[in-house]
Amino acid sequence: MLDLLHQIPTAFLFFCAAFVVMVLPQGNARNIVLLGTPIIAAIQVWTLGMGEFYTIPLFGFNLELMRLDSLSRIFVLIFCLAAFLGNLFAWHIKDTIQQVSALAYAGSAIGAALSGDLIALFFYWEGTAIASVFLIWARRTEGSYWTGMRYLVIQIASGVILIAGVSLYYYDTGSIAFERMELGSVATWLIFLSFGIKCAFPLLHNWLQDSYPAATITGTVILSAFTTKLAVYALARGFAGTEILIYIGTIMALFPIFFAEIENDLRRVLAYSLNNQLGFMVVGVGIGTELALNGTASHAFAHILYKALLFMSVGAVMYRTGTSKASELGGLYKTMPKTAIFCLVGAASISAFPLFSGFITKSLTLSAVAHEHYMYIWLALVFASAGVLSHSGIKIPFFTFFAHDSGKRPKEAPLHMLLAMGLTAFLCIFIGVFPNFLYSILPYDVNYEPYTMEHIAGQLQLLLFALLAFAIIYRRGLHPPEIRAVNLDTDVIYRKFMPSVFMYVSFIVSRSFSSIHKLSKLMFINFISRLNHTHGPDSSRAASWPAGAMVISIAALLGLALFVIFFS
Amino acid sequence: MKKVKKSTQDYPILGRWISWVDKPGSNQKIFYILIILCIASFGLEWTYEKHAYFEIENYKGFYAIYGFIVFSILIFIATLLRKIIKVREDFYLEKSIESEVYPEDQIQRIDHNA
Repeated sequence: MLDLLHQIPTAFLFFCAAFVVMVLPQGNARNIVLLGTPIIAAIQVWTLGMGEFYTIPLFGFNLELMRLDSLSRIFVLIFCLAAFLGNLFAWHIKDTIQQVSALAYAGSAIGAALSGDLIALFFYWEGTAIASVFLIWARRTEGSYWTGMRYLVIQIASGVILIAGVSLYYYDTGSIAFERMELGSVATWLIFLSFGIKCAFPLLHNWLQDSYPAATITGTVILSAFTTKLAVYALARGFAGTEILIYIGTIMALFPIFFAEIENDLRRVLAYSLNNQLGFMVVGVGIGTELALNGTASHAFAHILYKALLFMSVGAVMYRTGTSKASELGGLYKTMPKTAIFCLVGAASISAFPLFSGFITKSLTLSAVAHEHYMYIWLALVFASAGVLSHSGIKIPFFTFFAHDSGKRPKEAPLHMLLAMGLTAFLCIFIGVFPNFLYSILPYDVNYEPYTMEHIAGQLQLLLFALLAFAIIYRRGLHPPEIRAVNLDTDVIYRKFMPSVFMYVSFIVSRSFSSIHKLSKLMFINFISRLNHTHGPDSSRAASWPAGAMVISIAALLGLALFVIFFS
Repeated sequence: MKKVKKSTQDYPILGRWISWVDKPGSNQKIFYILIILCIASFGLEWTYEKHAYFEIENYKGFYAIYGFIVFSILIFIATLLRKIIKVREDFYLEKSIESEVYPEDQIQRIDHNA
């Protein structure tokens, strides 16, 4: 049985399952396929061992569809786990589009992580874009349609830039293998840019905050796991140790914390927070040492879980109240206490409290940065850690479940949502308490002890005193209140500024064109009518010049010509 | 006291336990507990030997002071930032989800008493 399973690339398992789901009637059978596929895929990857297993020829290239090594394996495993938890959370969904796209999306992301060459990577790269946009459109509102369009344009653009880079790379090196590259040529810069778009680098980031809150409740949980972490994997594979990533990652870790602090839509707060977490991972890739890459991989693993947990808890609240806006929520712990507790576990994990998953993973990256003596980067990342506590650790649970009472008394989340959240929360704590479980599947051997007195005391001081600062600021009424508003980000450039410039330019061009057209038409008509006036049939010239005059003048001309020829 | 009990008695049992945080005075108690925890974590400084990467880490209570200061700076900058970038919720009009309501057919509003 296992031998048979080993014959199929993991991504194809998901694609086959997507077809099966389309055929099966709605109900338990369909849900079992949705939950079973990631489990089977994880078993396949776990039992397959390391190596390259599946090559197909395409136009003279050999596409490597199954490259399993210690780096790709951890990403594939967490993708499977995320697909399982996301589908469990979405058990109530009776929407074929969402079910099929969830499977196709997970399959594409897993396929991309297993690609041994850049062409296969490109196919799967675009696959994630196309499959995932349906999770946004499935909301079926005009706003989500436009948001999905913006998302799709940017994601597809990333793929187009990737294939341009890959073609140039092949032209330069004669190879399509997806290995470590050096920045320097146009080809590698293009590939880097393509990864950067999907990884939400600063200034390229806004598709993330724009689109994730626009997806369906369950769609956002699934979206949060794959695209950006796939980009982190691609950077770790292709550009480990590229110094510029350290600075990019630091900016990424820092700037979203300010935006998250004042954002009202809690799912957008989480999207900013996701961006900030990616910053830590990108710094790890930039450092590129074994410790740092272990930090990146483990952080991605833990992050997918706690981020999904936070999206699930806010999603469950949205499922019961219809809103995820902080200004409309508050006091929900009273009737949704389990969801509140799961949310707090997610908040503690992302804030990296000892005994939670964030603590044992983020400290790897921070230690790697310190080990390489980047003091300012390290200080900035510690600042960013306090920022994480602020928006994800405090803001999300506090303004949803506590703070002022919104008067809403919704019923507790449905059982399958509680199960999904409970399982994810358990994993967050399990990883935090038993770090060796996660450390054992990291790309490199781990020689690191997170639970030393020094680490614990330092982290507790940082978090507790930041909490104290919050308490003082909040009690004094200085904390920015939750108000209904939108905050501008770089997307204002392409959503408002560029369209209005375009409208303005097109207005000027069309106006000047029509004026020139009118003017020239007028001049032409004027010219013809004047010509008609002087030379037309009724003109004075026509009257004084009889038709015979032409015949006479031609005869005279011919006579002249004859005369010249005769004497020359 | 009785009034609080009466209004909370139909909450789920976990909800009733947690509702301690809303009782009069709890707010103050939580604040004092936090201060005690802060002092305790500060006190831990004297229980171990530091193997710092940077000189700055060797100062007693570096993380505590840094955490407190950067958090305050963060809130301060964010408040300023809001003044610059805040616009009305319908700024992007029909091309965003901000001014829409979430489709009712995709959610299940149930009151906890129902």
